[in-house]
Amino acid sequence: MPEIRRLLPTLDIASAPTSLERLRERGFERALQRSAAMTSQAIVAEVQASGIKGRGGAAFPTGAKWAAVLAASGEVRYAVMNADESELGTFKDRALLEQDPLGAMVGLVIAARAVGAKRAYCYVRGEYREVEAQMGAAIQTLRQAGWVGADTVDIEIRRGAGAYIAGEETALLNSIEGKRAEPRVKPPFPTTQGLWRSPTLIQNVETLANVALLFAHDVDWFRTYGTPDTPGTKLIGLSGHIEHPGVYEVPFGYPLMQLITETEMGHGVSGSGHLGAVLLGGAAGTFLAPDEIRDSVLDYGSLAKYGASIGSGAFMVFDDTVDLTWVLTKLARFFADESCGQCVPCRVGTRRILEFLQRGELERRPEDLRDLAQAMKDASICGLGQTAPVALLSILDRLERRTNETRR
Amino acid sequence: MDLDKAALSRRVQELLSDIPRERQQLLPALWRVFEEYWHLSPEMIDAIAQTLDIPYADVYGVASFYALFANPDNKKPIYICTDVMCALYGSEDLLKAGEDLANDAGVRVKEAPCLGHCDGAPALFDGRQTIRHASPKVLAQIIRGETDA
Repeated sequence: MPEIRRLLPTLDIASAPTSLERLRERGFERALQRSAAMTSQAIVAEVQASGIKGRGGAAFPTGAKWAAVLAASGEVRYAVMNADESELGTFKDRALLEQDPLGAMVGLVIAARAVGAKRAYCYVRGEYREVEAQMGAAIQTLRQAGWVGADTVDIEIRRGAGAYIAGEETALLNSIEGKRAEPRVKPPFPTTQGLWRSPTLIQNVETLANVALLFAHDVDWFRTYGTPDTPGTKLIGLSGHIEHPGVYEVPFGYPLMQLITETEMGHGVSGSGHLGAVLLGGAAGTFLAPDEIRDSVLDYGSLAKYGASIGSGAFMVFDDTVDLTWVLTKLARFFADESCGQCVPCRVGTRRILEFLQRGELERRPEDLRDLAQAMKDASICGLGQTAPVALLSILDRLERRTNETRR
Repeated sequence: MDLDKAALSRRVQELLSDIPRERQQLLPALWRVFEEYWHLSPEMIDAIAQTLDIPYADVYGVASFYALFANPDNKKPIYICTDVMCALYGSEDLLKAGEDLANDAGVRVKEAPCLGHCDGAPALFDGRQTIRHASPKVLAQIIRGETDA
């Protein structure tokens, strides 16, 4: 089955990515016009009917979030695009913003209109300078066309400065406010108390691009692809030991093995040529063995069987020569470095995991590692500490299964 | 020293002249000054604090939080991604080669977490732009200042 191109523009599109022609060619002008004629309630109802789920990793129903912001009390409201893509193996928002930045930006304008925000922010990581320039040009095009401005919604770009944690939504809000990018305790959620304690809608780039597509067409069109439970398409970032690394768009329900083997996509395993494992979802993702990949499709239900999730769409391929303990140690170092240090379970826990791995104690002290992981999951303030041990746990589970099989 | 400090303070005020005097402008303000000097010294942080009327400790706290602002010797940084995907493609050797070469040049080669270019591994970032599929040859050229990309 070939790649679908909805979020990513088709290859025959010749207009410049930030031009007015592109806005028209992709149907985004229609999306803006159609949503401008709708009430906030009608916009939110359409997003709910579309079944879009957040594409940043948590897969929270987008319509429910918009309804929560709309229902929250407060005169001033904000909308935020999270383009602080810093998750290991994740580069799909970059690809999307390089190829078609107007989509996500139009989604942000529609989101702002739906929740009554007069001010919106795009938070982009400091290492994405080319992307930032592209976003600036897209905003300028929308400003000239009258969709962005003081009378409608003003959009400001905020550049991060090298902090993975700033991608966590409440940390991102603190960063915009000019504070250290430390996560806040939730609740209250940003939907009711976000930027300067006002109701704030914060969405991932890809989610907003889906919104623009939805309003360029309609709910039925949107649901043509994907599963009834998870409609639409997903951007997958293929990297590692793969012949054709890159970002590919496939419908939910797509067989995972085909991502690797399709000639139009991965085109097969590189390195030794034999698949060893896939780390799915990001640094806090799950390792899947070749038979698990063969058995799974891209949907939350199918992957839950193996305790896995789609996460940000990171699909990291390892051939059979890669020592997964080496990968785990790399991941552990990433989290230990990127922990903001605010809460103890994460600050100490990420460091301890790294030490366990560096001392080669993965197989000797699985119970201690599990205890530590549980404490981090239970007591960390934000997703970083709560999910930092996930990949490690998936390897511990695999080792345990192997031990049990040997005993039998 | 005092004269230097006064000159620095004037320069920072100039750099920040069109930035609204609001707390939320602190990150953009830090960027503005950092990109002038590739460095944020205590004197610069003090000047930013004075200009924006934010306590020194707060400005320091924010500036020291972000990895890209950590550049104590004000040599222009070149970041090489050594995370998993880039490491599979030899970025750790690239880092070592770069560190050796940079010793004599006015740049600092640094290790970076994932730069978001796993499909173009190994990736490096020179503070302004990203170079994908970075080779030792290209890295050497960048370190010697022979090319921007």
